[in-house]
Amino acid sequence: MKILAAALAMLCIAATWQTAEPGWKYDFPRDHHGHENFKTEWWYFTGNLTNAAGHRFGYELTFFRQGIRPPNERGSTRSRFIVDDLKFAHFTISDAHRRKFLFFQKVSRGSFGEAGFDRGDEIAWIDSWNLRMSGDGSFHLAADAEGAKLNLQLVPVKAPVIHGKNGVSQKAASAGHASHYYSISRLRTEGELVVSGGRFDVHGESWFDHEWATNQLAPGQAGWNWVSAQFDDGSELMLYEMRLTNGGIDPASSGTFIAADDRSVPLTSADFQMTPLEFWKSPATQANYPIGWRIEVPKVQLAFTIHPVLKNQELVFTPLIYWEGAFDLVGTRAGKAIGGRGYLELTGYAAPLVELNR
Amino acid sequence: MLPQYFRIFRWHVLRDLAQHRLLSSLNICTVALGVALYLAIQIANHSANRAFAATVDLVAGKAQLEVDSPAGTLPDSLLPQITAQPGVAAATPIVTGFVSLPKYPGEYLDLLGIDIFTNEPFRTFQLTDFDAAETFDLQKWLRAPRTIALSEDFARDHHLRAGDQLAIQLNGRTQKLTIGFVMRTHGEIANADPHIAAMDIGWAQELLGRSGTLDSVSLRLTKGANSKMVAAELRKIIPPDATIAPPARRSEEVDKMLAGFQLNLTAMSLVSLLVGMFLIYNTTEASVVRRRIEIGILRSLGATRREIRALFLGQAATLGLIGVGLGMIGGYFLAQALVGTVTDTISSLYILLSVRQIAVAPWIWISAFGLGAASVLLAAWLPAEQAATSDPVQALHHGERLERSVHLSRGWFLGGLTALLVSVFLSLLALNHAPPWISFGAAFFVLAGFSLLTPETISRFSRGLRWRTAERRLAAQNLARALLRNSITIAALAAAVAMSVGVAVMIFSFRQTVTDWINQTLVADLFIGPAANEVAGPTSFMPPEAIRFLENNPAVEAVDTFRHFEVPFRSTTIELAVVRGSNRRNLHFLHGRSDQIMPRFYREPCVLISETFSRRHDLKQGDKLALPTPRGTVDFPIAAVYYDYTSDQGTVLLSEKNFLHWWHDDRINSVGVFLKKGASVKAVTEEFRRRFSNRGEFSIYSNRSLRARIFEVFDQTFAVTYVLRTIAVIVAVAGIFLGLTTLVAERTRELGVLRSIGASAGQIRRLLLWESGMIGLLASLLGMASGLCLAVVLTGVINRAYFGWTIQLAFPWLSLAWTPLWIIAAAIFAGWIPAWRAGRLNIAEAVRSE
Repeated sequence: MKILAAALAMLCIAATWQTAEPGWKYDFPRDHHGHENFKTEWWYFTGNLTNAAGHRFGYELTFFRQGIRPPNERGSTRSRFIVDDLKFAHFTISDAHRRKFLFFQKVSRGSFGEAGFDRGDEIAWIDSWNLRMSGDGSFHLAADAEGAKLNLQLVPVKAPVIHGKNGVSQKAASAGHASHYYSISRLRTEGELVVSGGRFDVHGESWFDHEWATNQLAPGQAGWNWVSAQFDDGSELMLYEMRLTNGGIDPASSGTFIAADDRSVPLTSADFQMTPLEFWKSPATQANYPIGWRIEVPKVQLAFTIHPVLKNQELVFTPLIYWEGAFDLVGTRAGKAIGGRGYLELTGYAAPLVELNR
Repeated sequence: MLPQYFRIFRWHVLRDLAQHRLLSSLNICTVALGVALYLAIQIANHSANRAFAATVDLVAGKAQLEVDSPAGTLPDSLLPQITAQPGVAAATPIVTGFVSLPKYPGEYLDLLGIDIFTNEPFRTFQLTDFDAAETFDLQKWLRAPRTIALSEDFARDHHLRAGDQLAIQLNGRTQKLTIGFVMRTHGEIANADPHIAAMDIGWAQELLGRSGTLDSVSLRLTKGANSKMVAAELRKIIPPDATIAPPARRSEEVDKMLAGFQLNLTAMSLVSLLVGMFLIYNTTEASVVRRRIEIGILRSLGATRREIRALFLGQAATLGLIGVGLGMIGGYFLAQALVGTVTDTISSLYILLSVRQIAVAPWIWISAFGLGAASVLLAAWLPAEQAATSDPVQALHHGERLERSVHLSRGWFLGGLTALLVSVFLSLLALNHAPPWISFGAAFFVLAGFSLLTPETISRFSRGLRWRTAERRLAAQNLARALLRNSITIAALAAAVAMSVGVAVMIFSFRQTVTDWINQTLVADLFIGPAANEVAGPTSFMPPEAIRFLENNPAVEAVDTFRHFEVPFRSTTIELAVVRGSNRRNLHFLHGRSDQIMPRFYREPCVLISETFSRRHDLKQGDKLALPTPRGTVDFPIAAVYYDYTSDQGTVLLSEKNFLHWWHDDRINSVGVFLKKGASVKAVTEEFRRRFSNRGEFSIYSNRSLRARIFEVFDQTFAVTYVLRTIAVIVAVAGIFLGLTTLVAERTRELGVLRSIGASAGQIRRLLLWESGMIGLLASLLGMASGLCLAVVLTGVINRAYFGWTIQLAFPWLSLAWTPLWIIAAAIFAGWIPAWRAGRLNIAEAVRSE
């Protein structure tokens, strides 16, 4: 459920792009790599980290692939500047202790090989930002920008969990508006962060989403609220709510609960309730984001409240603007008190969703 | 004194001007014309320069440095290296190409291939979807081949909408582009040539057949980076035939290239103002003479000399200021008409340019005002001074009004001779490494010299002629009696005639020289090139199959090829012409014989340079010319210098063999085809047209039609010159009218006496018409003499100093022979109204004071 999905909402899609259809047979590690016959794809890492002094950090590092030329149009040109897909990436660091939020974007054609996908153990890279996977199944993330740097080693604790039904995660009622979507809901994470001059050895846990699709959103969808939560009892939860332009919630909204033993429970929109508790108005964009939530999932006897570690975790790019931030949570599971951390994504608040534009 | 001065001013000046409305308006008109011409030329020049600078800004954007490859051969694989260079904060690649638009004859598009991702910090225009100013469909931009962003102005002017197809011609092929986006410009950049379109750099490379190469890379530097040091480091990684400099250098280079051409226009526009000065002098002088009694009375009533001087200067200033004001308004509008002609000329001679809106800098207004006002005051100064210093006692004595000016000082004659000598001296200076503008001094002193010789000429004419009839004898004597003022009238007209004659001879000589040169060099039977080249210059290439077709055609004996190419040289960019020639290509050399030089040229590594190139860069036969090639800088010996009239910037000629060896580039811009004896030009043309040019993709000229086309361009080049010269002549004829009118007015008493002693009205009229005719005759004789000298200066000094070519002097005798006839006719015509008035003189009134 990521920002780039927005790009697809208004696209007239050539039939030559492959769409997400039921029956996809997932195969790992093959499916960790790119799927270039689909128009859109992303590798989405978020995580909550702490250093030895107990300072709390969050990060996001996402690589996007946006298809430009469908498979049947590729080749036959000689210019290196004509590319089959566009590469871009977002990188943020939330420093809760010093109340700092840094965000960066890179966009590239990859005409000179400075950006691309699937080269040896590199799954994706743009300049010095990259995502690597080792033979042992662990991931390595690196990114740097002015005043920020990230270098992390991620080891999966859980197996990939596939969202939706029959291999597709439905985004709207009609056929084809869907994606192939899986998560590794917990990765043990260690490494270093540099934020505004300070260098920190950190450890914590990350969440990895990988999604590929063509034309997954339907008209009339205004944006979404997406939550990933890691509870301290070893379970996780992913939920998304598709918000409609008429103010309602699309019944196709759904989620997945992953128990400590890897057993996953698919959730439909009838299975959970999300209620906004706290709002924050962005001074930059005047958007009013619901950054605190009460979430109830009776089906798995779960109820908790989300408290963001910083109010301002808004990414302001032109014209893509969204809020994506780390949070702490408190709640109950089957009557017992439960804590945890997670990431919240809020899109479509600053402006109506537009196609991927600059 | 002040309030009193204004009262006197009102009574004596304003009222007088109101009474002599015709005179006043003539004065105003001539000043207005002079100022208008000057202003219009300045505005046209300035607008052209500004349009070019704005276009450079639009293309180069907010770049601080620019790696530029004049030949468009910069490998795009260098881009990461350039971007990674220390001190470089941002770099964006650009590829450009000119295409012509068959649906809009004569129009073109400068296609910019830009990289949307790296281009953003440089962009000076807004790039949006065609119909929505807020959105931009990036995916369409990147994916759709041949989809362009069109400049807002161009789209509006041609009523183009989103999704419309635009046919273009490029490299001898017609292709269709789709309009998908729009480029919006604001502020200064809006002055840029609207013939511009942008597309994604990848698709631009494909369309232009330029995969792998770039025209330029724009750079922004990190804060505090030393631009010179960054440039020096970049120099090490870019090929020798690329340059690195701030983009403003390109506008400066063009400013410099156009400076000579523009200064010439300015100088010509000033001639009208000069003629106008003569007229102001004449009018002021006339009113001083006419009002000697008034001056005497004012002086005896206590007016000071300063007040009298101020009175006459005030009179001139009043007329002058109205004239300057009108001239400034008129010039502004005249500029709108002139700017098209000026830019057409610049486009055909120097650089493709189109001016959308005229630009006026404050200094242009100020200089036009200052020049106008200064020339008026300067012209009025002498007569005003004369009025101020006149003796009131003598002024009040009614007799002997005109006698004082009869005495001819020897000084005029000597002054005239000196001026001519100065002119010769300045000419020699200008031809020998002095700044070229000195040559204008030479032209000025020719005009000044003949003006100073005018009194002597009149006086000799008047004394030398022994007419039998009274009217004619009187007329001839009268010329010498009002000597100074008549001299001024005649000198003014003569100056205008001189300029007209000088320019006519110069253009005629130039045309003659070019004709001779064409006869020698333009010898092929057919000339074929992609049609886009005709609009955009040699930017499109011949498809190899078209050349092969011609070479294999049984009717064809030989095919000469031509390739235009630019390389950096010293601090500028020079043109190389690459030729593969048959033995029939004839060049005319300054020294040496064609049959010895040409074989060497085709065989050995050497170059030929044009005469203009030789002068401009001070290089001679036997010197070495260091040219940057992709394989490093090579010293080519200069085998010879040849006469050439294609470009005042000069050309370097290189054989195809040498070019292939050092540049590895076999593209060809156009060909000259020699047919076998008896073969039909028409048949080959038609066959070629059928095969390759059924939609007009190629321009095909026969020998004769190419000549006609060359002279079309030639005549267009001198169109502005003709306009300026015609206006100068009109001003001068107005001057005759003015001179005679004042003459009649001040000789009222004398004419009255003539009438009262028995002269008929018809005799008086004839007397005055004879006088006008004689003025016309003298002016045309002096004008012709001075014009021929001016022609020598224009062709042999100014042209050579500024443009560097040798023009053989030739004279259009027939049209020169006509000159006195129509000048005399014009003079008699101008004298008609004053003569008619003089005939109706009231005798009693006129002789009242006797």
